[in-house]
Amino acid sequence: MAELNFLPTLPPAFTPPMLFGALLLLGLLGGEAARLFALPRITGYLLVGMLFGPRGLDLLGGEVTKQSRVFVDISLGLILFELGRRLDYQWLRRNRWLLATAIAESAFAFLALYFGLRYFDYPRLLAALAAAIGIATSPAVVLLVAHELRSDGQLTERMLLLTAINSVFAFFSVTMLLPFLHFQHRAGWTETLLQPLYVMVGSLLTGLVVSLLVLRFAAWLGKREDRQFIMLVGMIVLTAGLARSLNLSVLVALLTVGILARNLDFGHKLMEVQFGHGGQLFFVILFVMAGVSLRFDLLPQASYVAGMYIVLRFLGKALAILVFGRLSGLRPGAAGLLGIALLPMSGLAVVMVHDISGLYPEFGARLSAVVLSAVALLELIGPLATQFALKQAGEAGERR
Amino acid sequence: MILEFKQSPACTIGVELELQLLKSHDCNLARDAADLLARMKKVQHPGEVKPEITESMIELNSSIHRRYTDLADELRTIRNLVVHEAELLNLRVAGGGSHPFHQWSERRIYPTERFKHLVHLYGYLAKQFTVFGQHIHIGCESGDDAIYVIHMLSRHVPHFIALSASSPFYQGEDTGFASSRLNAISAFPLTGTMPFIQSWDEFNAYFERMHRFKIVESMKDFYWDIRPKPEYGTVEIRVCDTPLTVDKAALLAAFAQALAHYYLNERSQNPTPALYLVYNYNRFQACRFGFGAEFINPYDESHCALRDDLIATLKRIMPHARALDSATALSHLIDDAVAGRDDSSWLREQLKKSGSLNDVARLQSNLWMGKTERV
Repeated sequence: MAELNFLPTLPPAFTPPMLFGALLLLGLLGGEAARLFALPRITGYLLVGMLFGPRGLDLLGGEVTKQSRVFVDISLGLILFELGRRLDYQWLRRNRWLLATAIAESAFAFLALYFGLRYFDYPRLLAALAAAIGIATSPAVVLLVAHELRSDGQLTERMLLLTAINSVFAFFSVTMLLPFLHFQHRAGWTETLLQPLYVMVGSLLTGLVVSLLVLRFAAWLGKREDRQFIMLVGMIVLTAGLARSLNLSVLVALLTVGILARNLDFGHKLMEVQFGHGGQLFFVILFVMAGVSLRFDLLPQASYVAGMYIVLRFLGKALAILVFGRLSGLRPGAAGLLGIALLPMSGLAVVMVHDISGLYPEFGARLSAVVLSAVALLELIGPLATQFALKQAGEAGERR
Repeated sequence: MILEFKQSPACTIGVELELQLLKSHDCNLARDAADLLARMKKVQHPGEVKPEITESMIELNSSIHRRYTDLADELRTIRNLVVHEAELLNLRVAGGGSHPFHQWSERRIYPTERFKHLVHLYGYLAKQFTVFGQHIHIGCESGDDAIYVIHMLSRHVPHFIALSASSPFYQGEDTGFASSRLNAISAFPLTGTMPFIQSWDEFNAYFERMHRFKIVESMKDFYWDIRPKPEYGTVEIRVCDTPLTVDKAALLAAFAQALAHYYLNERSQNPTPALYLVYNYNRFQACRFGFGAEFINPYDESHCALRDDLIATLKRIMPHARALDSATALSHLIDDAVAGRDDSSWLREQLKKSGSLNDVARLQSNLWMGKTERV
C-alpha cells in the first residue's frame, strides 16, 4: 500500500480553514432560519452554536474553541472599536443630563444587584463582583442588532453610547474589586495592588498609543476609504492580539482606541469606515462560538437566581433612565424601551468571569453559578429585547 | 371655489428655510426631526419650526418683516435656539440645497396625513424630494399686484438660482451643476410656471377649472417656481436653494423685496409671453453654470452673461433698496457676483481641501450653526 501514501488519512484532519468555512455556513443557515421566525440573525448563529456545541451534538468541542479564538478576537476588536467611536465626549459635555444618565445607569444597576444579592445572603465580595459584571451591556449584541435593523435615531444613539460607557464602568469596577479578592485569598501585597494596576494602566496606555498611531497613519494615507479600512482592521487585530499576549484587557484597550480615535481626531483625518460584509464574516463566527460556550446546562439549577439577577439589573438601569432620561432630552415613552434595549449580556461578562476564575477557581465557580446562568438566559432573550425596543421605538429601517 | 387674496402690506418679507438634520458621528442625514420638533415646542421662539416631508428635514419660518436686518436678526435668533436644542440630541443642522452623499432610498417619510398622501401619489419621488430650498414671501396689496409681480419676477428667476446655488453634490457625486436641487423638483407634474394670465379674476377662473378637473385641491398642489399665496397675501419665490448661512437667506429676501418694490412702483415694463419663451433656457443655464451662465433678455432678445445682467439689475434697483434700508444687502450681493463667490464653489473648495464628502457636510453644518465664519 506504500504507493498510495498520497491519499490522506480518513477522516481528513479538521484544519482551521475548514473550521472557518464550516462555522460560517452553519451560522448562515442558522441566521436565515431565525429570520423566518422574525428573530434577530445573531440569535440564529447562537442557536446553531448551541446545537453543535459540547452540550448539544458535540461536534464543535474544546479544540474548535481554541482554534476559533483568533476569529473571535478579531470580531470583538472590530465591535469594541466601533462602539468606542460612538462615545462622543462633546455630546456628554453639552448634555450634562446625559452624562448623569450614563453614570446613574451604571451605578443603579450595580446597587440594585449588590443589595439584591446581599438580601439573599450572598457574601459581600461575591455580590459586589457579580453586580459589577452586571453593569455592562453586551457591546456585540446592541451594535449588531442595531446594524441588522439599520436602526437610526435617539434611542439607538443613546443605547450605543450608554453601552460604551457601562462597559468601561463594569471593567473598572471589577478591576477595583480585585484587590479585595486578592486580599481575601491572602495574596501578597504586591500582587494585590500591582496586578489590577498593571491591567488598568497597561490597557489604557496601549489604547492611547494605538489611537495616536491610527490617527497618524490615517493622516498619512489621506481620505481613501479602502486604504483606511485595511489600516484600521490591521491596527485593531494587532491591538487585540497584543493586549492578549501582554495579559491586558482586550476590551479596555480597544474601547480606548475607539474612544480616543474619535475624540482626539481634531483634524478629522480618520474616515467613517463601515466594516460591512467583511466584518459580517467575523460576527457570524463570534456568535456561533458564543453559542458553543453557552452554559445552558446551568439554567435549570440556577433559574431562580438568574431570574432575580436579570430583573434587578433591568430595574436598576430602567430607573436611572426614567429619572434622568427626560432631562437629557429623551422623548416621553422611550425611557422604558431604552432600559429594555440595554438588557443583553454576553461574551464580555463571560470573559470577566473567566478572568477571575483563572485567578481563583473556587471563587470563580461560585461567581459563575450566579452570573453565567443569567448570561445564558440573556444571550437568548437579550437580542430579542433589543430588537423589540428598537422596532417599538420606530427606529428600525424599512424592511428591504 | 373662489380664492380670496388676503391683502397684506406691500413689500413686506418673510422666508421659509428647509434645513438638513445631520448625525454628529458621520454627518449623514439623521432621522430625528420629530424629537427635535418636540423639544422646540417647549422653547419660546419667534417664527415657526415645522416638519417637512422626510424625517431628516425641518423647516424654519420667519415672521413678517419690513426690514431685512430685522429678518436677519430673527433668523439668527431662531437658528441659535434650534442649534442649542439640536446639540442636546447630538444633531447638527445644515443649510445647502442638497445633502452631499445621502441615499434617497434610506429616507423615511415624516408621519403626517399629508406627507403619507404625497408618498402614495408620488412614490419614490417623495423620498427624492429630500432637497432643501428657501422660499421667499413678498407681501402684495392685491391679487392683481401679485399676478403682475409674479410675471415680472420670472425674468429674475435665474438670478435667484445663481445667487443661492448650493447643491453641487447629489447622492455622493459632483453633478457639475451649481444647483442640482431643481432637477429633483422638475420631475413633479405640477411644476413649472404660472400660466400667462393677467389678473386675479383670470387666475381664479384658471384655478377653478383645474379644481373641477380634480387635478388640484388647493394652491399647495402647484409646485410652481413662483406662485401666489392668497391666504397670506403674498407672492412666493421657490427657486432658491437654502443658502449655507442665515445671513445669506436674509440677503436674498432683501433682493426679492427690492425687485418687487421696483416693479410695483415704477411699472416700467409689462409682462410679455416672451418671458416664458426664454424661461426654461435661462433657468437651466443658471442651474448648470451659476454666475457663469448665459442669459437671454426676453425684452430686447440680447444675449449676455448672467452675472452682468444680475449686476446691472442690482444697480438699477438700488434706489428702491435705499428706500427699504437694504442698500447694504444689495451691495453685498453685487460684490459676491463680481467675485463669483457662491455657495456651490465654496462647497467644491471644501471637498478639494478635505478630501471627503463627510467633511463637506460637517463644514457646511459648522457654517450654518455659526461655529465658523465663511472665508
